Amino acid sequence: MSDRSRTYLKDLRTGQLAEASLIDGVSRDEIERSESLWRPILLESLEIRQRSGIAKGSWPEHSHWDWRKKHAATEGLIAYRMFGVECEGDMQGLMLVSTAGHPCRIAEQRGKEQVYIDFVASAPWNSRELVDSPRYGLVGRVLIATAVQLSLAEGFRGRVGLHSLPQSETFYATNCGMTDLGKDTKKEGLRYFETTPAQAAAFLR
Amino acid sequence: MATDKKTMTLNLTAAEMAALEKLSDQKDLSKTAVLRQALRLYQLIDSRLAQGELLYFEDKDKKNKSELMVL
Repeated sequence: MSDRSRTYLKDLRTGQLAEASLIDGVSRDEIERSESLWRPILLESLEIRQRSGIAKGSWPEHSHWDWRKKHAATEGLIAYRMFGVECEGDMQGLMLVSTAGHPCRIAEQRGKEQVYIDFVASAPWNSRELVDSPRYGLVGRVLIATAVQLSLAEGFRGRVGLHSLPQSETFYATNCGMTDLGKDTKKEGLRYFETTPAQAAAFLR
Repeated sequence: MATDKKTMTLNLTAAEMAALEKLSDQKDLSKTAVLRQALRLYQLIDSRLAQGELLYFEDKDKKNKSELMVL
């Protein structure tokens, strides 16, 4: 089931806020359309980087994510929720979260329930790593705020956790104010971040 | 965010209610939230087992693994 509510992104071409839709329960058709728009841009960008001899380490780290597969693997499972932000008729960002099976790790809230962000990504035309002039800003912030709001709605008091790709670590630590619990050897060595209720409240202010 | 919810009456034994209250207290969740979490996990595990995957508990220190059978 899909539900839409109003949110706002920053149009980086004008500097103005732009009205957008937050979609709770992104449909298969919406995913198909997003992938068909995102994929060619990502592939072109990777080809340019390959031809230019740019080291793989500086390529966008989520470029191989296949949202069709993620949607198919989680469709109908109530432990998962997929959110999207749509603006100008196009999907500007996607996020897959789980609401069960990822207990908190920070000592003061160890074992408590939280919203775990499995995957979150902006459309390629919003990524500074991919284009010189990104279209929309605040996509990541809107989606992380959505995860915090979901955590509050579920009674998890704003607790949110995720494993970050190296290119996004600063965003989660600095912009979102999450606690960095270090590298997780059981998750490809990615750093694990988590919010406390106080951090979540501060982030939403 | 989707908020459409249905209401139902649930009949529990005293032992089941005591377990629910204990989990509610330990997890800092309402009893409804505990039951919703249980349903999410049950559906997720059932779905993965139906696809042929197995569920194990692993002893952190002894490295023993035991398969959990879910009916």
